[in-house]
Amino acid sequence: MPNFTLDHVIIAVRDLDAASADYEALLGREPSWRGSHPQYGTKNRLFRIENTYVELLALADDEKKRGRWSGPLKNFLEEGEGLYGLALGTKSIDAAVRELRDTGLPVQDPAPGEGLDWMTGARRTWRNAAVVGKESRGVRLLFIEHGWGTSTLPMAEPNAAEGACVTRMDHAVVLSPDMEASRKLWGTQIGARLALDRTFPERDRRILFFRLGDITVEISGGAEQTEEGLGKPDRLWGLAWGVGDLRATVERLRAAGVDVSDARPGIKPGTLVATVKGEHTHGVPTLLIEHTPESFRAESRAPQGRAYDNSAPRRAFAALGLDHVSVVTEDAAAAAETWRATLGLAPGDAAEPPGVAVRLVDVPAGNAFVQIAQALSPDHRVARWVAERGPGMYGIAIEVDDIDAAVRDLRGKGIYVSDPEYGVIPGTRVARIAREAANGVQVELVQRLPEVL
Amino acid sequence: MIKRVHHVGVVVRDMEQAMRFWRDTLGLHVHKLETIEEQGVKAALLTLGDSEIELLEPVVTDNGVARYLESKGEGLHHICFEVDDVERDLGALRQKQVELIDQVTRIGLAGRICFLHPRAMGGALVELCQPLDEPSEEPAHA
Repeated sequence: MPNFTLDHVIIAVRDLDAASADYEALLGREPSWRGSHPQYGTKNRLFRIENTYVELLALADDEKKRGRWSGPLKNFLEEGEGLYGLALGTKSIDAAVRELRDTGLPVQDPAPGEGLDWMTGARRTWRNAAVVGKESRGVRLLFIEHGWGTSTLPMAEPNAAEGACVTRMDHAVVLSPDMEASRKLWGTQIGARLALDRTFPERDRRILFFRLGDITVEISGGAEQTEEGLGKPDRLWGLAWGVGDLRATVERLRAAGVDVSDARPGIKPGTLVATVKGEHTHGVPTLLIEHTPESFRAESRAPQGRAYDNSAPRRAFAALGLDHVSVVTEDAAAAAETWRATLGLAPGDAAEPPGVAVRLVDVPAGNAFVQIAQALSPDHRVARWVAERGPGMYGIAIEVDDIDAAVRDLRGKGIYVSDPEYGVIPGTRVARIAREAANGVQVELVQRLPEVL
Repeated sequence: MIKRVHHVGVVVRDMEQAMRFWRDTLGLHVHKLETIEEQGVKAALLTLGDSEIELLEPVVTDNGVARYLESKGEGLHHICFEVDDVERDLGALRQKQVELIDQVTRIGLAGRICFLHPRAMGGALVELCQPLDEPSEEPAHA
């Protein structure tokens, strides 16, 4: 199966000029292309960013010129604006179509297309093929090979300061009432790499992450498959955009009159996120995300980066990496200063999570962090430890891919493990292994829950 | 300049018994297992993502690891950070009059290393290491 990229995303809009102005503000970029599709009866604005481009698509002004694409677009727009379709890029459309058909996915014959930029006179050509009828489960899917020898699409020039504009697409979200059918479409037929299949009973969510290049297609559905959901179509829902400096971006957007939430820590460690609200997104639920430079975990360490193939034999769980090392102290502030002054590491702010009598300071150290812990009550296990053994090294936290499976597996081997519970670090679930089983080391298992739009 | 947590060291009484937990139960891959006579330890390195667990069993009675085991029992012993230039960092620590175990760097399992004194770090034993450019087959003898 060809390695498809997410070539572009298509947003259907009613008033192209108004939508373009809004996306110029949202992305902090000027359009790369102001064009029309003579044979389709549509017109568009394109914004190329690092890893894909976004297309705002509207009906041509002259109804007589409306061609083969205009009917479905008109019907869609009668329901409202929003995400209209995804175009998956390939180097060879002919081979792609053959292979897709071999998987049973009905795809049209590749057809040539062309776009003209009315401002520059540039012409771009491509060959594309759409999935026929309902077989793409309600999400318009197009496969596209861009033409050689014609203009390439230039980058959308920033109209805002560096850091305050969108640089890349992070993920696209598809809501699915029939997860197995979606999984078959994206995994088996399109052949996208499944990077995560995880169920969160407490949030009533099951999430599949499929990778197209460095962009994730997140398929999101209920934790349990419902009878009435079977066979129902998916809905292409929202987008998450990557920015260099989220706070600067939020400030810039507010100055431009865009309704955007405060920046807040994302569920995924090392990320900041903000939600764009209101009409400026033209019906597309929108999240902005910054992977912060002080992120103490390389992208590759994130749980969704650890691909696994469910068809391959595997252990009940996988230990993914060292999450953090705990040291205990009687004075967290003084200890944090020691780590800074002696080793040049930059401690974070002290935190006192509600419900636990402990003060914590995280000290990022590249691939993991040191957690300084100070008990605030003499009964806390950290206080008892310090009383018995003095301050110093305490324990480690190991990140696992599936904490429930890990706990079950360890218990099956006769090891005492606490029930998984939500950790004091947001977006984590943790369980502690009895120290006697781990050569005297306080071992905590931790699972990082992925960001959910 | 600290780059990452290179490994954490765990002192164990019996390597075979320890392997049953770290290797067999947690599923960590053992990529090195050897006895370093000079240091009086049997050491195992197990891969944990982009870091490692180092299990240390003393094979003599008169080194730091043996004394730790004697006084505190099994447990988490040290944390080792990888640095760009261990000579330079050790020099900076000396200049700051940080209390040290090693006044000069030496070759250990993780490359060129030095240990700070736990008193310097609030009781935590910290090792700095600079992996060797060409990993020696027998770092203990280099």
